[in-house]
Amino acid sequence: MALLPTNRQWRGLVLFAIIIVVLGVLPWTVNNYWLRIATGALMWAGLACSWNMLGGYAGYINFGQSAFFGLGAYVTAFLMDDPFGLPFSATIPAGMVVTALCAVIIGAPTLRLRGAYFAIATWAFAEVLIQFASAVDFTGGIGGIGLPPYLNERFFYFAMFGTAALTYFLTWALFERSRFGLKVKALRDHEPAAEAMGINTAMVKLQTFVLSAVTASVFGAIFAYWVTFINPKSVFGGDITDQMVVMVLLGGLGTLWGPAIGGVVLFVVNRLIWMYWGDTAFYIAILGTAIVLVVLFLPNGIAGLFARRKNDALDKVLDKLAGSGEGGHP
Amino acid sequence: MSGGMQSAADPILSVRGLFKHFGGIKAANGVELAVGRHEIAGLIGPNGCGKSTLFSLVSGTVMPDKGEIRFDGRAVAGMSAHRIARLGLARTFQIPALFDNMTVTENLLAAAAEGHWQGAHERAAETLTLLKLEHVADNRASDLSGGQQKLLEFGRAVMRQASLILLDEVTAGVHPSIRKIILEAIARLRKQGVSFLVIEHDMEMVRNVCDRIIVMDSGRVVTSGAFEDIVRNSEVMQTYLGRPQ
Repeated sequence: MALLPTNRQWRGLVLFAIIIVVLGVLPWTVNNYWLRIATGALMWAGLACSWNMLGGYAGYINFGQSAFFGLGAYVTAFLMDDPFGLPFSATIPAGMVVTALCAVIIGAPTLRLRGAYFAIATWAFAEVLIQFASAVDFTGGIGGIGLPPYLNERFFYFAMFGTAALTYFLTWALFERSRFGLKVKALRDHEPAAEAMGINTAMVKLQTFVLSAVTASVFGAIFAYWVTFINPKSVFGGDITDQMVVMVLLGGLGTLWGPAIGGVVLFVVNRLIWMYWGDTAFYIAILGTAIVLVVLFLPNGIAGLFARRKNDALDKVLDKLAGSGEGGHP
Repeated sequence: MSGGMQSAADPILSVRGLFKHFGGIKAANGVELAVGRHEIAGLIGPNGCGKSTLFSLVSGTVMPDKGEIRFDGRAVAGMSAHRIARLGLARTFQIPALFDNMTVTENLLAAAAEGHWQGAHERAAETLTLLKLEHVADNRASDLSGGQQKLLEFGRAVMRQASLILLDEVTAGVHPSIRKIILEAIARLRKQGVSFLVIEHDMEMVRNVCDRIIVMDSGRVVTSGAFEDIVRNSEVMQTYLGRPQ
């Protein structure tokens, strides 16, 4: 049984519907250059949302989310390549299954860890995948792997748009409107108390981790087909996760719309810097500055400026990261 | 010296030979006690004697080194906290352990999210009324006063529809009006068949509410019995007031 939406949430649904309509007609109102930027912005908004499921709602900082993005990308590339030659649509479910299995195998032991220990374990997992993909032949090694080109910008725009819209709808339904969301937020706020309420926190964390990972893998699959070439650094790289983290912090940790705001703002800033100065290294400095400014002056992110009630999710997550959260232990 | 097992012929909770050491600290050093069905048992003892640790051991928050814990006839020692909770045991914490970022209503609903979801919204509304928290139903838990936080944590235990509730100093430091609400709710739940084990330092409350008192010291139960017997017990007096020099 879902919790009934309040008036405020009905307004949110109407806003969501308006955004869907506006984004639905966008490809017929902008040129291909801006359409690619919009496609990228939608991808980052969706990826940030996937990271926020575990990092924001459950309070577990995952520095290895790029591993799952990369798994989705590599499974698609591998299956579309010879000898399989599968159609793109068939590779997505395969990527989701592979990613879900990996997430269960990695999540079951690492989600017993708390705070910085969990963050380090997930970061190490992504690094292992970079080394693995670089060392073996079937991934194309360090040289990467190509995919059959499909030069239809509108297709990729709508693929990212549809996946992002579904991601946000699922996040709203699961984390904001269902008892599953209550369990997830309860374990973030006080894990021993959640356990004492009968909540199997280990299982809820694992379910959230798998959902977050599978979502990222779908974006990875679309990304690989879109850019037609991937290598270990381009899809498993730590900078991909770093950007998700900063986007969520900027937009608002543990909120529904925060990752969308942060993802769009930072990606568009990235592209504008590239357009005018052509030096994306400058973007790294902006990311660092954004982290410092958000933590100091905007702990609830941009979404917090419009929130009806205070949100201390960042405090809870920082407590856990420092190992001082309730029941915090390695 | 009487043991803690007395006067609980058909116990809902029984603890035998329970040990838990943290390094050199013997938090539980062979605890023996029982709580009868529909009984309100008070657990008293000086600070640091192991009362809250006993709650954590019984509720599965902390694993015992050795010993037997039976809840409603089932051995639960070493079982995870969520499994014990699902068997019908609820607890509060000495320092309120609320879900700070969630509203009062969401806190109550979260308590019912596992195993008691059917009718949870109606029961949350009833609990808000029972505990006189309706006016803060949409407030964040962390924005409540200390007394309201104690009420909310008690309300979460109520939402669990438990057969045994462990209350850890639930009325400590709260306004008399809030204490009255809690005591009335305990009496009402007891009539519905709920048993209680209550850690409390307020002897007036212990006398008025508890059927039987269990006294702990240095990680073990030293005696148990009716309030009048306990206050006449010289060892209990020494435990609280110190031995004469």
